[in-house]
Amino acid sequence: MRSPRTLEIFKMGMISYLDALILQEKLVLSRKSGRIPDTLLSLQHPPTYTLGKRRTDHNLLISQADLEKMGAELHYTQRGGDITFHGPHQAVLYPIVSLREIGLGARKYVERLEQTMIELSSKYRVRASPGKPGETGVWVGDRKIGAIGVRISNGITSHGLAYNVNPDLRYFEHIVPCGIADKEVTSLKREVEEVNVPADEVVQDHLVSCFVEQFEYEDAIWKDGSALRVCDVEA
Amino acid sequence: MALRMWASSTANALKLSSAVSKTHLSPAAIFSLSRCFSSVLEGLKYAKSHEWVKHEGGVATIGITDHAQDHLGEVVFVDLPEPGGKVSQGGSFGAVESVKATSDINSPVSGEIVEVNKQLTETPGLVNSSPYENGWMIKVKPASPSELDNLLGPSEYTKFCEEEDAAH
Repeated sequence: MRSPRTLEIFKMGMISYLDALILQEKLVLSRKSGRIPDTLLSLQHPPTYTLGKRRTDHNLLISQADLEKMGAELHYTQRGGDITFHGPHQAVLYPIVSLREIGLGARKYVERLEQTMIELSSKYRVRASPGKPGETGVWVGDRKIGAIGVRISNGITSHGLAYNVNPDLRYFEHIVPCGIADKEVTSLKREVEEVNVPADEVVQDHLVSCFVEQFEYEDAIWKDGSALRVCDVEA
Repeated sequence: MALRMWASSTANALKLSSAVSKTHLSPAAIFSLSRCFSSVLEGLKYAKSHEWVKHEGGVATIGITDHAQDHLGEVVFVDLPEPGGKVSQGGSFGAVESVKATSDINSPVSGEIVEVNKQLTETPGLVNSSPYENGWMIKVKPASPSELDNLLGPSEYTKFCEEEDAAH
């Protein structure tokens, strides 16, 4: 009988992309050596544009200088996927999990991340679905509400998903999101019938619960992110 | 080449076929795994991170296995190093991207990279359609051939895949 599968969830609040990256790298090493269980970071970023491993910067429609004038940052990353935007009021989850222990390959893992966002949307009576082949992500009709970009290193995941609760969608006008032209980006706020969407934090915690359910964790331990300062994590 | 039946619970469902391939891997016996329908070839060694290596004539050819490509999904991009670089056993030498996930590929042996499969830049899908032949990734001059002893043989790798898939 295997021991119960545990997920430790850290609520980080608003943290910079770089701080989150450094933290993830350390967590990946700790997870690989078995020092920590599967871990999830739940956070938001200040306005940040990121590119994936393929460096598709033709999908960035403004110069880096203009981007910085807007108060946004640009990062090149090792994750899969194309260009995207992260910002306030967008729920970001970075699961650091061992795929080998849960017996999933990259494809199934990404499908489960999609299902997590689809499930959350349905709780607010928004019908979302996975994209067509080659258009990974979560869509409401042909409007994109959630994006995925993952890195797998020695079977341990990092980066993850971003779900638009109520970000300023104008930021997406400066990119071809995920390299898919002629498709809109949307948010939960835009799609719900009711005027009032609960506070970001409520929706984000709900999203985390959907993740716990999709990945069938038996134990979910919620921890305060301030308990996980970058310098405290031992590699 | 004599075919060996693996004594395992999947023995009844194993389909055996011999394939004569036109590349350096011929002739090879191909065994299907009833559980995950991936093929595992004789004559190769395997790493637990799902890479294979064929050591022949002082050169080690490396790629990812059928099990790996099946679990990744459609490969859209392969990031490979330049010839002349060094790899070490268990160390990463590149990555494959599929469905928004970039997965590191690790070298089963240490040595110097002597050749890189440039076809994968234009046609990354070769990793899916032909993981053991046209989808090969790098060729390495092994620094110490005894490292191959640390790797899994075909039957051990088959069992390893079954156990990994059963964990879900």
